[in-house]
Amino acid sequence: MSEFWIIVVLAGLLTYVTRFGGYILISRIGRLPPRLEAALDAVPAAVLTTIFAPVLITGDWPERIALVICGLLALRLPLIVTVAVGATGVALTRALIG
Amino acid sequence: MSQTRSSDLHQLAGSEIEAALRQVFPVFLAVFPFGMVYGAIALGDGLTLLEAMGFSATVFAGASQLAALQLIGIGAPVWTVLLTVFALNFRHILYSASIGRHLTRFSPAAKAAAFFLLVDPIFGAAEARAAERPLTKRYYFTYGMALYICWLASTLIGALFGSLIEEPEAFGLDFVLPVYFLALVMTFRSRRTFWPVAGTSAIVSIAVTYVIGPPWHVTLGALAGIAVAAAMKPPERGETHSTEKEA
Repeated sequence: MSEFWIIVVLAGLLTYVTRFGGYILISRIGRLPPRLEAALDAVPAAVLTTIFAPVLITGDWPERIALVICGLLALRLPLIVTVAVGATGVALTRALIG
Repeated sequence: MSQTRSSDLHQLAGSEIEAALRQVFPVFLAVFPFGMVYGAIALGDGLTLLEAMGFSATVFAGASQLAALQLIGIGAPVWTVLLTVFALNFRHILYSASIGRHLTRFSPAAKAAAFFLLVDPIFGAAEARAAERPLTKRYYFTYGMALYICWLASTLIGALFGSLIEEPEAFGLDFVLPVYFLALVMTFRSRRTFWPVAGTSAIVSIAVTYVIGPPWHVTLGALAGIAVAAAMKPPERGETHSTEKEA
């Protein structure tokens, strides 16, 4: 087996471990203390925020402005509409300012 | 009577599938070009078609696949490649810890399969779904398999034809995932700790991006936000999910 396939298998296994490891840890605890429960309830907001927030410094100006506007739009509009408005807005702004 | 009941069930099942497909659709727009870029780079780096596809099929995590290719390309030792993959995918431990609580209707085998498909978009979508109604296998696997097939198909097309879309930026496709996650995060805003948590994670992830750089901004930013939630005064029993809108 070539070195690349060894990497494929081990990287796949490692990634799979991360994808069920948290569940194994939690299910060993049994009844969860309230603070741990609160911490788990915060996972979606905590992790998913880190995926888009840095765009505020790494993105171009159309992206930065669109991110702020879409944050407000998301309070009212369905998800798919917010995504469509955001991506279209960024594309159009880029086309305009070249 | 049994007939009406089975047709009701069919309708319910259909709506679960429909909802999953409707919600996964915008993600396709971003994942497909990303997968094509990965496929094109993989073949460009000298991988065979089978190797490029095999990597996508076993790992199913684009950012870590691209990082691994880069490291293999500069001749980095295997353990460095694996450490990078682990660091990039560490956030999934948090995902499985949280979503595992909502997989009550899943058999052990279904759970094992569900965890294999646990990537960023399905985590966010499944959490949002579980906050409203019980999370069904039908919803989860429709969303997950659609994304998995999309990832394999886009890898294949990128490997065979190169990345057909020369400039995904011109169409704003590079912005689809950030705005998707932004909109998804906002659906959790009625949770008790939402604003302190999201605010902390945003500030810390931006600071870490600036000072250290990726990929650590995800893990450190997330842990900071989670720590805030754990430090806040726990709610009285039975009001974990407060329903009042803080927005």
